[in-house]
Amino acid sequence: MTDEQRTKGDGRHHMSSLLMRESLIDKDLVASTDSERPPVRMLPHAHVVKVGGGSIVDKGRDVVFPLVEALGDILERRKLIIGTGGGARSRHVFAIGLDLGLATGVLAQLAIADALGNAHILGTLLAPHGVVAIPPEIFGHLLPFFVKAAPGVIFNGDPPYSLWEHPPAVGRIPPHRTDAGTYLTGECFGCRNVTLIKDVDGLYDKDPKRHSGATFIPRIHVDELRERKLPSLPFDEVLIDILSRARLVKSLQIVNGTKPELIEPALAGEHVGTIVYAE
Amino acid sequence: MIERKLDDELLSDLGKALVGGSLTDLDVLRRTEAGDTVQILPQANVVKIGGQSIIDRGKSAVFPLIEEVLANLERHQMILGTGAGTRARHAYSVALDLGLPTGVMSVLGTFVSMQNARMLHYLLAKHGIPFIEPVQFPQLPLYLAERRAVIFFGMPPYTFWQQNPAVGRIPPHRTDTGAYLVSEVFGARSMIYVKDEDGLYTADPKKDRSARFIPRATVGEIREMDLQDVVVEPAVLDLMANAEHARSIRVINGLVKGNLTRALAGEDVGTLITAD
Repeated sequence: MTDEQRTKGDGRHHMSSLLMRESLIDKDLVASTDSERPPVRMLPHAHVVKVGGGSIVDKGRDVVFPLVEALGDILERRKLIIGTGGGARSRHVFAIGLDLGLATGVLAQLAIADALGNAHILGTLLAPHGVVAIPPEIFGHLLPFFVKAAPGVIFNGDPPYSLWEHPPAVGRIPPHRTDAGTYLTGECFGCRNVTLIKDVDGLYDKDPKRHSGATFIPRIHVDELRERKLPSLPFDEVLIDILSRARLVKSLQIVNGTKPELIEPALAGEHVGTIVYAE
Repeated sequence: MIERKLDDELLSDLGKALVGGSLTDLDVLRRTEAGDTVQILPQANVVKIGGQSIIDRGKSAVFPLIEEVLANLERHQMILGTGAGTRARHAYSVALDLGLPTGVMSVLGTFVSMQNARMLHYLLAKHGIPFIEPVQFPQLPLYLAERRAVIFFGMPPYTFWQQNPAVGRIPPHRTDTGAYLVSEVFGARSMIYVKDEDGLYTADPKKDRSARFIPRATVGEIREMDLQDVVVEPAVLDLMANAEHARSIRVINGLVKGNLTRALAGEDVGTLITAD
């Protein structure tokens, strides 16, 4: 074969496919990959639950034990994929790292250890219910197996962005934290729903811990939430953009983990906290 | 409470604000901007070698480029990232047809850029240059100090956690983005994209003969031009706007001998894209 034959004339070896020879950046090409048909759901029956680090785990036994009891009961009937936050230890390592002049990607890498610690803390308490803590290196690839084999799994909620974390628009705190990572798990695997368990009833127009007159927002569209520019949110701000690009899990619910009786209704789809939705 | 104990004992004011405050509070976030961050590897250059544009051409493109890399090692340290290219396009086509999620496509793209990294690695192995996966990045500084270069796969390790694009299904953060973020987090000396075009054009020069070459542009200017096609992933331009260290990138034609040498020397070759 001549070089000309082998390379179909332009010097590059091609394989026949829809995207062959195309720039993956060309706007028409990108638009042509859209589809009305949603992607396949890998784990449609599993529920994804994020248990807050600062809001739940750091509060100690008064808050954690009743929640563990409720989750243990739910695990009799439902498959749970539980992500954890890093809480106070992540905030602390951020403060030290920032003081030392370390970049956002380094802070993201460091924080993984804190959420992983909390996954093992909660995992220990949930072990009698058959929950296993899975190391991040194998979590994604083995998730379907573990969900089939165990009643529930627990992992550090961080997305594996680590050194590849995006520099944020303001400041240096890694923007994709454990709320974002836990949600993205549910979106990619096409899980039934995503619930964020915090220590507030849901979203307020101001931080309810600092402002007694804060108004509760039971339900809000991501576009409205983006426009309102609330002074603080009970979840990672990047979730607003991530949720607006959802293909499978088009809403999430924030519920109060200090009221553990609300968790199962939330998983069943009842409106018991704040629902943030994309459509 | 645990937080309170930390407060009283050793936390700085910023530490207190972070432990006690909300990480979505703009005032708290602004306080984290004080001072400069450390340039972790200020003498290293991140060089991304295109998949479809270079590696898929085989030895006619790859061998001369490798010779040029080796010739520059005495003067320049290089962190070499690889693109994915034709096989990723094939895998994405199959995945699109089957309706697989974007996160799974990200896994597939990673495999292809890893193949390309392995091939480059075997060609450079006799010079002691290693291929490292993300988990081996802590060893990267040692390899750079000892051997002057390492190879990594360009895909960021987002796998199933790759975010959906605004339009379509293809992972928006691919090998240009992964290489760029390495240059930003390490505060590298330069970020050079080795492709098969002279740089940025007003249209894809492979399809449009009237496409005009743009030797220099800011991210804002490129956004204003609203081009149909751009020579680097749009995500790189978005990230550049927020970057602290990697405020410029250069795109060069790796099919032209001497371009990489000139780019490493800081000469004006190809297209320079700056954040501002």
